[in-house]
Amino acid sequence: MKIRWNPIVKKDLQVTARSMRFSWGLFAYDAVLVLAFLLATAVIQASCDNYYSSGNIYSKLIYLFPVLAVAQVCIVALIVPIITASSISGEKERQTFDIMLTTCMSPFSIVLGKVVSAVIRILFFVAAGMPVMALSFVVGGLAWSGLFYFVLTIILLSVLSGSIGIFCSSCCRRSISAVVLSFAIYFVIYVLTFVPLILNLLWTEGESAGESLLLLLFNPGVFFEEFFMQIMTGASLFGTEGSTFSRGDVGLLTYYLSQGKTWMFLSAACILLLSLLFMIAAAWRVNPMNASGSRKK
Amino acid sequence: MLNIYDLTKNYGSFTAVNHLSLHIPEGDLFGFVGPNGAGKTTTIRIICGLLKASGGSVQIGNTNARMGSREMKRLIGYVPDFFGVYDNLKVHEYMDFYGSMYGMRSRDIARLTDDLLELVNLSDKRDFYVDTLSRGMKQRLCVARSLLHNPKLLILDEPSSGLDPRARVEMKELLKNLHAMGKTIVISSHILSELSEMCTSIGIMNRGQLIMAGRIEDIMQQVAGGRRVHIQAVSGVDTAVRLLMEHAGVSVESVRENEIIITNNGTDEQLSALIGQLIQNQVVLTGFYREEGSLESLFMQLTGGGAQ
Repeated sequence: MKIRWNPIVKKDLQVTARSMRFSWGLFAYDAVLVLAFLLATAVIQASCDNYYSSGNIYSKLIYLFPVLAVAQVCIVALIVPIITASSISGEKERQTFDIMLTTCMSPFSIVLGKVVSAVIRILFFVAAGMPVMALSFVVGGLAWSGLFYFVLTIILLSVLSGSIGIFCSSCCRRSISAVVLSFAIYFVIYVLTFVPLILNLLWTEGESAGESLLLLLFNPGVFFEEFFMQIMTGASLFGTEGSTFSRGDVGLLTYYLSQGKTWMFLSAACILLLSLLFMIAAAWRVNPMNASGSRKK
Repeated sequence: MLNIYDLTKNYGSFTAVNHLSLHIPEGDLFGFVGPNGAGKTTTIRIICGLLKASGGSVQIGNTNARMGSREMKRLIGYVPDFFGVYDNLKVHEYMDFYGSMYGMRSRDIARLTDDLLELVNLSDKRDFYVDTLSRGMKQRLCVARSLLHNPKLLILDEPSSGLDPRARVEMKELLKNLHAMGKTIVISSHILSELSEMCTSIGIMNRGQLIMAGRIEDIMQQVAGGRRVHIQAVSGVDTAVRLLMEHAGVSVESVRENEIIITNNGTDEQLSALIGQLIQNQVVLTGFYREEGSLESLFMQLTGGGAQ
């Protein structure tokens, strides 16, 4: 059976691959990664040359991985909303979106196509950054499977960022407004999800976080923290081994969900669910048959 | 082919389309006419599933597909008034993209693309980037794109706006060809003379309402055309005016130095007798002709002079 590509993915990749902006983007991406690599290496070397430092440089070079990974994640988190936030509003500005809606593609397929094309574009960036990333693995201390899991993590982040971007794009007429709204939603997901935890700790005078930690399952920042803990030390941010929390610190449900790798998998599922909800909301918004019709276009 | 029943679209308290009912038979080339804001584009967008109607329904052919459904979209080819393009996409890739969006196979799209590009006279532009084409070419490409999935109904929203005279003629010829092939076409346009030349029937909209619709010759017959008569005389104009005003069924519209314009509500025989009476009363006639009805005059009359 022949797999049918979503036509939007094919078209978007065709158009992107031919633009000079994309090539310059790849160049800039690699340049930033190389700079981060050189800077991190210099800092590690300087710390080893220190008279009081007892560690050897090889054991510290393992930290190149989180430095480069965080650099990549930050760039991806910045790029994806810009790509997707302008995807639907860009089609509207170009006046091609109406024609798209008159075809047999469902609004959800259009939205999904836009998100998938954004994720594939990010994979181009990840592939371009792979040689730099691989440098942090050559000195040893890390399993190569970590690189594979890192790519999966980047895909997960891209899907979430892409779905937020596409949702904002469906809400705003102008691309710039969609980008701004995307970063506002980022702020809510990355920062405001800590608010219940902080309030709970204040309420209990720091004795127990209760179940307020569960909201952090949707926080990609916490997911990444847990990912690096697992990859680099084999321990969990919440787990029993090297844990921050004991049974008394959190609620019963949180305690059981934070054992071993459960939290990471559950968090990945929650992030995917959140992405799906954003995509469904975007599809609902772009469907003309759902319009309230209170405003003349 | 296209049946519209009691279609209404409200934006808050403003009614853009007001209980519009219309029947367009298969193979017709129907022209939508109306001043700006009359509701033509709103009606077209509702038919194409780009806007939700506040009330009423649209039926295409014998299907009972609901508005905006995939079945309904498969029956319609839509050409908007503005042609948006993607940078870095070639003509055949553009066709392939939209063909895929209708779920067509690549092999079928490639075959149809060649045929349709030939139909719209763009075969030699197959490997050109779309954004390098002229506006007229882009519009013809858009028509080719809208025909890819072989729709039963082709809807064009002001396809000639912004085109130069040559591109307009080419577009008109293309639409005539499509009509000759048996396609049912609905077109809205600002260029009334163009519509009167190519349409088989028209609908005149004003303030959201369909004022008049029908076959173009029937409409022309109904309104002023053929009833306004110009009478030219070198002497006896005053006598002629007096006689004409006395005559039941004739109203004098204007009197110039040597020309009188009347509206005849009587029969041709009565008009003939009236001319004879003028000659008998020493009115020296030099000219006598009926005014041909035009879509412009009809439009101005029905919409109260609403500017297009």
